[in-house]
Amino acid sequence: MSEYLNIFFVILRRDLILAFRNKGEFVNPLMFFVIVIVLFPLAFGSDSTLLKQLTSGIIWVTALLATCLSLETIFRSDFEDGSIEQFTLSRYPLTLLVTAKILAHWITFGLPLIAISLFTSVVLSLPNQTIIALCITLVLGTPVLSLIGAITVALTIGLRGGMLLSLLILPLTMPVLIFSMLAIQNATVGQPISAEIYFLGGILVLAITLAPITTAAAIRIRLS
Amino acid sequence: MSMSRFKVNNLECIRRDNILFQGLNIDLEDGGLLQVDGVNGSGKSSLLQMCCGLIQASEGEISWNGEDIVNCRYQFQSDISYFGHSNGVKAGLTARENMTVMHALAGTSSSIDYSSILERIGLTGMEDVLSSRMSAGQKRRLGLARLFMSQAKLWLLDEPFNALDKHGKAVIERIIVQHCSAGGMAIFATHQTMEIAGYPLQHIHLGNEE
Repeated sequence: MSEYLNIFFVILRRDLILAFRNKGEFVNPLMFFVIVIVLFPLAFGSDSTLLKQLTSGIIWVTALLATCLSLETIFRSDFEDGSIEQFTLSRYPLTLLVTAKILAHWITFGLPLIAISLFTSVVLSLPNQTIIALCITLVLGTPVLSLIGAITVALTIGLRGGMLLSLLILPLTMPVLIFSMLAIQNATVGQPISAEIYFLGGILVLAITLAPITTAAAIRIRLS
Repeated sequence: MSMSRFKVNNLECIRRDNILFQGLNIDLEDGGLLQVDGVNGSGKSSLLQMCCGLIQASEGEISWNGEDIVNCRYQFQSDISYFGHSNGVKAGLTARENMTVMHALAGTSSSIDYSSILERIGLTGMEDVLSSRMSAGQKRRLGLARLFMSQAKLWLLDEPFNALDKHGKAVIERIIVQHCSAGGMAIFATHQTMEIAGYPLQHIHLGNEE
């Protein structure tokens, strides 16, 4: 067991080191996220009530788009330099190694994204209950984005299709968006949001259980 | 160590509607050393990738200790070490960090002195140099460092001498022979002549004889 934990943390640490050495790869999608959010107040005027209603939706849609950008690189260099062959042929299950890589992606993308969203929603003076709902949905939702994204990236690797990737990820992440927005709307009018949160939690558990296995299978297909 | 046996029976490889080879047989036992050669595009790499289970053969069986490798994947994978065309070296990591990952993937629990391995492969004192700052040959050597940490019985090496100079080639030849003398097995693909005096070497030639 400890052997498996050890390899998990070695891969996690490796990916985090790589992300911090190659800052552009993980900072650029986050910059994109910030800039797109800033574009909306510029377009609609900063004190419009319309903007207040739209902000949480804007944050979520922009998060989806930024995910597509950030995911592109998750396996690319590993395919190019042969690391993925070594992972596939190691004595450890590829599923475990892939899980570590996805977790690393979430730490370098999902976590900063949640922090930025929190900051933006405070700056745009959203009501407290909306901010709380936004945070809960992002905490439950962003790991799902990384997990589902990993499958599609593994399937499209080497196809030179950044666009194809977005076309695959966005429809698959619609349920997350729908439940998140329902939760945020309910929170804004003071309704309970537990039903939507349970649904999001369920989707997250499902994704954690199945996505790494599917990603590993997709990688094996891409290699053969 | 118990005896092991790697067997390939009637293997066929089809790539882009071309039959690259057919009816290929390999039988390796402890200490067996096999060189695969042939012109470019004759299927050397495909053969090695089939042997390690990365790609499926269109026909034929590959077995490890009498069991089909598809049925005993993890047992087989913990007994092999594959070194392909790509080095499996991360450009953004230093030599030491790369070796930590290789070490963890090899699953060797004993501690390993990375500096002495680097010394043996001619990268003395380069522990903290980023791989992206190394030359092609140095990266290749670093990739081959995994052989020094591996407990694997069967080594599958695809063009291991690519980008290596004479000294590098000699070092790798020596470690292959050492591995086989100690009861290991190795299959390697190369069109270079091996200078292994006094060790029995099996040979497979792929492609047309011209």
